[in-house]
Amino acid sequence: MSRSLLLAAPLLVVASAIAAPRPGTVGAPGKTAQDSCTACHAGLDDRRLQAPAQAASDDIHHRQGVSCAGCHGGDPTSGDAAVAMDPARGFVGRIESGQEPARCGSCHSDAAFMTRYGANIPTDQESQYRTSRHGQGLAKGDRNVATCSSCHGAHGVLPANDPRSAVYASRVVDTCGRCHGNVALMTGYGLKGDELAQYRQSVHYAALTTKNDLSAPTCNDCHGSHGAAPPGIESVSNVCGTCHLTQRERFDLSPHKDAFAAIEQPACEACHGNHAVIEPNDGWIGVGEGQVCGSCHSVGDAGAEAAGGLSSALAGASHAILATSRRVDAARRAGMLMEEAEVRLEEAQQALVLARNEIHTVTLARMSEQTQAVGRATAGADQLAAAAEAEIRFRRTGLFVSLGVILLAMLALALKIRALER
Amino acid sequence: MKLATKAWRALDERLGVQGVLELALHKEVPRHRHSWAYYLGGLTLFFFAVQIVTGILLLLYYRPTAEAAFESVQFIVTRVPFGWLVRSVHSWSANLMILAAFAHMFSVYLLGAYVKPRELTWWTGVAVLGLGMGFGFSGYLLPWNELSFFATRVGTDMVSKVPLLGHWLLRLLRGGEEVTGATLTRFFGIHVAVLPMITAALLGLHLTLVQRQGMHVPSSREAEARRRPPLKFFPNFALRDAVVWLGGLAVLAALAAFFPWELGAKADPFASAPAGIKPEWYFLFMFETLKLLPAHVVGIEGELLGLAAFSVAGAVWFLVPLLDRGGASGRHSRFFLLLGWIALGFIVSFTALSFLGVFE
Amino acid sequence: MDADTGHAPMTRKRFVNWLLGTSLGATMAAALYPVLRFVVPPEVAEAPVNRVLAAKLSELAPNSGKVFRFGSKPGLIVRTAAGEVRAFSAACTHLNCTVQYREDFQHIWCACHNGHYDLQGKNIAGPPPRPLEAYRVDVSGDDVYVTRGA
Repeated sequence: MSRSLLLAAPLLVVASAIAAPRPGTVGAPGKTAQDSCTACHAGLDDRRLQAPAQAASDDIHHRQGVSCAGCHGGDPTSGDAAVAMDPARGFVGRIESGQEPARCGSCHSDAAFMTRYGANIPTDQESQYRTSRHGQGLAKGDRNVATCSSCHGAHGVLPANDPRSAVYASRVVDTCGRCHGNVALMTGYGLKGDELAQYRQSVHYAALTTKNDLSAPTCNDCHGSHGAAPPGIESVSNVCGTCHLTQRERFDLSPHKDAFAAIEQPACEACHGNHAVIEPNDGWIGVGEGQVCGSCHSVGDAGAEAAGGLSSALAGASHAILATSRRVDAARRAGMLMEEAEVRLEEAQQALVLARNEIHTVTLARMSEQTQAVGRATAGADQLAAAAEAEIRFRRTGLFVSLGVILLAMLALALKIRALER
Repeated sequence: MKLATKAWRALDERLGVQGVLELALHKEVPRHRHSWAYYLGGLTLFFFAVQIVTGILLLLYYRPTAEAAFESVQFIVTRVPFGWLVRSVHSWSANLMILAAFAHMFSVYLLGAYVKPRELTWWTGVAVLGLGMGFGFSGYLLPWNELSFFATRVGTDMVSKVPLLGHWLLRLLRGGEEVTGATLTRFFGIHVAVLPMITAALLGLHLTLVQRQGMHVPSSREAEARRRPPLKFFPNFALRDAVVWLGGLAVLAALAAFFPWELGAKADPFASAPAGIKPEWYFLFMFETLKLLPAHVVGIEGELLGLAAFSVAGAVWFLVPLLDRGGASGRHSRFFLLLGWIALGFIVSFTALSFLGVFE
Repeated sequence: MDADTGHAPMTRKRFVNWLLGTSLGATMAAALYPVLRFVVPPEVAEAPVNRVLAAKLSELAPNSGKVFRFGSKPGLIVRTAAGEVRAFSAACTHLNCTVQYREDFQHIWCACHNGHYDLQGKNIAGPPPRPLEAYRVDVSGDDVYVTRGA
């Protein structure tokens, strides 16, 4: 015991010397770092050595007073290259990818240190990373896995909420895609490499990119940012259920919950997919071609029967709304006041939305509750439309009657003319 | 002495109205094979009177802004008692008025009634027809629904083809570059103030002239008119006139009952035009002709040529009392008669064909 | 002449005159009646497009909400726990369901897919992509008027 401690001690000292932020290399937060490193490297001809210095102006570390030496070591105050890049002064040169988590973590995992940059800055990135597939791979010596700089960059690091950052919400998929879109690379890990392409077809991606809805999920929202791993079977419905709570609650009430767990089938993914999550429609329900229930159920079994019942309930409801809408619209265009009917139609529409939620219970009784509400609302609107149509007919009759009166008057006049001219 | 007689006596002592009454009581209407045409002018006047009454009623509730126009018409049609009737009658009577006006004008032309001394009557009449079509065009936009918005856009586009002044005229008409709420307000002012004022003046002149000059008898019917005893205006012709007017009212009631005027959907200037936008039927013959013309004819833009042709035709039509040489002697020439039939045939056939969808 | 009744007999002439008078009278009445009804203003004097009397202040307890209508469009009037009155469009910005006020959350909630909005109308959780449109509230005595932008 004491022998290993004896061995470990110098290692620990060295490690902490490498890892700990160097005093003098970290300035006041918010004050841009002034150092000889950028000054000198900016003037070099070699592109590879010049680039980091050029990226310094935008880099968050530099802007917060953490100079090159803060990561690479050395003495930033000296203009003499030999002094500045002196290993005796802690200079480590290029940081090898395997060293990154510890290196970055030396500051980023230190809660006491990080509070100077913000009261609630997370400091669990390194520990999360170690649990991830990337972290585990790194520990086994795989140098192809992603490390800190793979996603965040090494120089020119921007905060995640900066739209130019590689880890900004709408750009995450491209960043992950650098490796996960490479089929040859992914096959080595047993992955297909088509997940990004699939995700780009999804409603989530569309919401993020075309509707600019930053609350829409991207890779890290389901897989984790630093603790990146595929969600396990139990956690799929936890993950989706974070946003889709109503559907998740209903799924938990359904016979599918235990059935899926028993066959190790991930919950939501079975019908909705995991990456290519597209807009669902009523036509999915059933055991026919292109219908989701058919992946487990077949014609004649209990599931197929249930699917048939659910499907027709929904079809009936949406058809009722369509037919009544047309009728109400026709009456409104003809000039009748249809506000009350439109209110009923809105109620019907809302009940239909709730009916579609109930699909996840796969219980006809629950869905019928909503589709019956649709029926009641459309019946009300239909009644009002019928009343409007009756009013139109009544007016027609009334005008017909006055037509009769006018014709009578014409007759009377004709008789008078005859009488006068006899 | 009865109160009425007393009142009349008092009026006469101040205004000399008895003379007018004598004139009216002695007025006579000649009778011949074509004297049925004498009812057409009165019928047009009847429909115009219906327009004035229903128009004023609509004015009580209508709002001439893009934000509220459609809603106010919807309000009239859904919430005001008999609002649906007033609005439907107003829309139908407009069409019937123009139809009657065209019938009246063509019968006058073909019977040669424009010859001396009735040139002024003809000119004021043609002008009033033009004003009537202006009423129709301006009024059509006022409900601010989809159909009327796009029809107005297409219609005002034509104005820009006039050389030199075209663009300026377009801006004057539209109240800007595009059809907007500014157009609506402008059309409203034109519809309820400008046109009524001018029409009152010209129509008043037209009616006074008719009263002063009496009814024209076509030269071919003169012998017959002399042979048959004329009708006294009061009460015989007037009663017959009443029958015709009631007939017009009956047609109006039937149309309002069986083909109530639609409310439509509110205009959306940013939406694309629905298919098959057409102007009102009385503009169709011009509209379809212009569409038929090729894009360019001997280097001149087709539509410009069409507009020029219509302008020339209109000018000839207007000036016919002067152009028709035979008119001086009270007989009108065969040439102009033929021209009239051709014009009538052209207008009727193009309008009918447009309705049948032949031009699609 | 029928001396007994004191009336002249119904000659053809009298009949024609009577018919004429009655039918013309009926025609005029049929035309005049709608005009007179038209001219008298209806119950609702204006189309309730932009401004409605949404509620009575005395009926709105603090920490409660009420759905009202702008024509056919739903609106929500909320009286906060502090007593302030606010109004919003009640059409959820996700899929148009009608939102409601939840006393337990003390903010606005949509039953369809669990969307949450704060008391400023801002979407704070769930699928709604945009905040609820806010309306202007004017309290006159016990009357709460809500106006929406044209």
